Amino acid sequence: MGASLRLPSLTSLLFPATTRYPSSSLRRTCFLRNRPASSGFATAPSGTASPETKSDAERLRSSDQAVTPRSKDFNAWYLDIIASAELADYGPVRGTMVIRPYGYAIWEAIQEYLNVKFKETGHSNMYFPQFIPYSFIEKEASHVEGFSPELALVTVGGGKELEEKLVVRPTSETIVNHMFTQWIHSYRDLPLMINQWANVTRWELRTKPFIRTLEFLWQEGHTAHATPEEAEKEAKQMIDIYTRFAFEETAIPVIAGRKSRLETFAGADITYTIEAMMGDRKALQAGTSHNLGQNFSRAFETQFQDENGERQHVWQTSWAVSTRFVGGIIMTHGDDTGLMLPPKIAPIQVVIVPIWKKDTEKTGVLTAATSVKEALHTAGIRVKLDDAEQKTPGWKFNFWEMKGVPLRIEIGPRDVSSNCVVVSRRDIPGKAGKVFGISMEPSTLVAYVKEKLEEVQSSLLEKAVTFRDSNIVDVNSYDELKEAISSGKWARGPWCGSDSDEQRVKEETGATIRCFPFEQTGEAKTCLMTGNSAEEVAIFAKSY
Amino acid sequence: MAGPGGKKEKVDKADKAGKKKKDLKKETGLGLSVKKDENFGEWFCKHEMIEYYDISGCYILRPWSMAIWEIMQIFFDAEIKKMKVKSCYCPLFVSPGVLEKEKDHIEGFAPEVAWVTKSGKHDLEVPIAIRPTSETVMYPYYSKWIRGHRDLPLKLNQWCNVVRWEFSNPTPFIRSREFLWQEGHTAFATKEEADEEVLQILELYRRIYEEYLAVPVVKGMKSENEKFAGGLYTTSVEAFIPNTGRGVQGATSHCLGQNFAKMFEINYENEKGETAMVWQNSWAYSTRTIGVMIMTHGDDKGLVLPPKVASVQVVVIPVPYKDANTQGIFDACVATVAALEKAGIRAEADLRDNYSPGWKYSNWEMKGVPLRIEIGPRDLENKQVRTVRRDNGVKEDIPSESLVEHVEKLLGEIQQNMFQVAKQKREACVEEVKTWDEFTEALNKKKLILAPWCDEEEVERDVKARTKGETGAAKTLCSPFEQPELPQGTLCFASGKPATKWTYWGRSY
Repeated sequence: MGASLRLPSLTSLLFPATTRYPSSSLRRTCFLRNRPASSGFATAPSGTASPETKSDAERLRSSDQAVTPRSKDFNAWYLDIIASAELADYGPVRGTMVIRPYGYAIWEAIQEYLNVKFKETGHSNMYFPQFIPYSFIEKEASHVEGFSPELALVTVGGGKELEEKLVVRPTSETIVNHMFTQWIHSYRDLPLMINQWANVTRWELRTKPFIRTLEFLWQEGHTAHATPEEAEKEAKQMIDIYTRFAFEETAIPVIAGRKSRLETFAGADITYTIEAMMGDRKALQAGTSHNLGQNFSRAFETQFQDENGERQHVWQTSWAVSTRFVGGIIMTHGDDTGLMLPPKIAPIQVVIVPIWKKDTEKTGVLTAATSVKEALHTAGIRVKLDDAEQKTPGWKFNFWEMKGVPLRIEIGPRDVSSNCVVVSRRDIPGKAGKVFGISMEPSTLVAYVKEKLEEVQSSLLEKAVTFRDSNIVDVNSYDELKEAISSGKWARGPWCGSDSDEQRVKEETGATIRCFPFEQTGEAKTCLMTGNSAEEVAIFAKSY
Repeated sequence: MAGPGGKKEKVDKADKAGKKKKDLKKETGLGLSVKKDENFGEWFCKHEMIEYYDISGCYILRPWSMAIWEIMQIFFDAEIKKMKVKSCYCPLFVSPGVLEKEKDHIEGFAPEVAWVTKSGKHDLEVPIAIRPTSETVMYPYYSKWIRGHRDLPLKLNQWCNVVRWEFSNPTPFIRSREFLWQEGHTAFATKEEADEEVLQILELYRRIYEEYLAVPVVKGMKSENEKFAGGLYTTSVEAFIPNTGRGVQGATSHCLGQNFAKMFEINYENEKGETAMVWQNSWAYSTRTIGVMIMTHGDDKGLVLPPKVASVQVVVIPVPYKDANTQGIFDACVATVAALEKAGIRAEADLRDNYSPGWKYSNWEMKGVPLRIEIGPRDLENKQVRTVRRDNGVKEDIPSESLVEHVEKLLGEIQQNMFQVAKQKREACVEEVKTWDEFTEALNKKKLILAPWCDEEEVERDVKARTKGETGAAKTLCSPFEQPELPQGTLCFASGKPATKWTYWGRSY
């Protein structure tokens, strides 16, 4: 073997102070091989150091071991799940990621839903080049300030030094505005509403699969309007679409609201956000929608002639959701056993495990399992029949539970003779989630499975709502805020503090203002920091 | 335009032409003064398909072209999923070590690679490449993921952008520095399985061109010189553009053999417990497909889009007349669009009041909408609409009550006709030659040349050298799978040695 395959060591990924190309050889992990079929996934490996004392790097290398229980070490659990459930692998350059089919299918489900919604609301897809002349980025002052440390720059192409260095897009506002300036002439050209699905690059130092990677996939919408009211309406409409998507499809009860000044996008007037509470109670910003005002249109002279023949700068928005959302789904749902996917976005909604002991039983069981699979498939249910012979049913149960498949159907010889199946729910462990004697007759079974999938979907949401609400503390003083944050919770309290007050909270507690939620109580309030009267409550939390 | 720095790479001819064209357009309203036969490069850059950009060789795909790409994507993605190919995404960035692993491969791509050398203000210790293709990014993982025969076949596909920093004449869609594509990468236990898949995929590419884009293509085998760097053999679908007399490689399906498997150690344990190497394929089609379609069908009025890929299949235009019932006509237009949309036809009404019907006709003709429906006072009275085909200009009055059936039928006919016309045009360009003199003559007449060849690399290089001229050298396009009979004793047109096969030759994009 060319001794090293030159894949990065995981150490370099997690301690990425250097961009040096690592030389450690690729370790061929051997997932679950040689493991006794009886051993459960949830059991911690015996004889190894506890996860707390193990470095993340060691942990990641050991994907052939059991998944760390979520209750024990959330971060280790997350990394284990990504490896074991085959969601992603580490890319050849530190901080990058290979999204494997099981993870990518979740992204495809996100795309499928949102793409339709975008088109319904009048947006067209297009594609902008990935390279942006550096001079474009410099045009909007706060924008360049916000992004310049993270820019990846191409200076050599085709063996020659380039005359102007090119930025690998971190986001496309600048190039979009450059083009809008050429396309927009009169009020008749407005509104102009476009979207693109693309990869973007931000040279981040601290990375985590799906959550923060050097390169990620996203959609970015960009719109231009004749009036500030229209732009505001658009920005709100898009955050609303994201909110509904989060609740209805991914069962994540996000809190929608407005960002504080400090947390507003570089170059925006207002940033709206959806904030999700992860299983470790840290906040994840899962999607944003910006009202850009006229900041970019002034920098790029994007003007139109209004109905009175006067030149005006357009009013703009931009909004985005990325593969980070996949990380959000993983970290919202799931338990010690592994992943738990909401049925609506699960690549596999139902797994069928046939069970037989004697060869004489095999044909009957497999025939029944195949016809059940066909019936469900025809009904539009994403179903997988695991008929691999070299694995035991017990192994398969564990495996598909770890992969988070919402429903499992078991079919054994006795079920075949009684024309029935056993259905188990992923979200209710053990016997409680298991129902025997469901008729194999297609119309009965399909109806039952569909109903159960809906139940799983709504029960995941309910569980997440309960978890979220029990971990948000209403606070009225800075001490209460500190206490809430130090106990790992979110703090919600009246706020009218200054930027420096906010900065102080961040430095002293590690928490930031996640948003001023749209849902406000409306009562008169006193700012928890300044004691002045406050119009709104803000939510503080530690975040990813 | 180039930003404050004003620094800009040398703008190629086509770029300048495109910009000049645009200025002209502003002055004359529609400005379709460029005839397709006269100047193909200039003709190319209109119709809201693409927009030029400050970086030479990078183009913006506007909604009009992106919609075509999406329609093809939906078709192809569903087809390969039926073949059990799964989607994934591999990083854009390649570390030099991995990139350089396969020697022939890197020799083929190295001159075109773009390098990230800085992050923020800091120089990277090692520059990082932007993928020109993903073989070297993906195969280390194949080595990791494939262990036993049960892990095979492994079939993955990704939709992404790639970058090839070429300096030769950028042309929108056809040759750009960044483009969108799908790249499929598969690994099998046996060569037979790999061989079979190469052809299955090639057939899907043929269907994209012929059934969707209405572009006739030839399936065939690439020569040794023209095959994919590092692969075993390359098959392709080849199109031909009569106007310019150039062949264009439509899409390629490669059998990589075991070369990459050897370099990246993609081994597995077979059923007997022995270690064996996998057989691999890779296959791709790109946004170039759109360029080939545009060049094949466009005419002096502009684009002509095949109905199957047109984002607007039918445009409905009101033709109000003096004091006629304008509102009634507008309502009829809206109702017509609604009826068509309900039947799944992509229709749009152009109700703008600041343009005349005549202006709208030209505008939508330029944008290539396959079918136009006009509704005027008399149509309203007679409960009919007038249809005008973009492909042949044929006009027809059809009764409103059978609108949907008529339109469906017409769209089908347009699709068929566009393919037939393109096929006839291409066939009229094919010329069989036997000698060098016939060859050069046919080449000068911009023909698609079919010639008996000895299939030697040296000879192809020699032909290239001897035909080198302003318009580029001639090379093999492909050896068609459907071979005409080759009588015993036929000699190679170029070397005079015994010929082994018929091969298509020509200048190409």
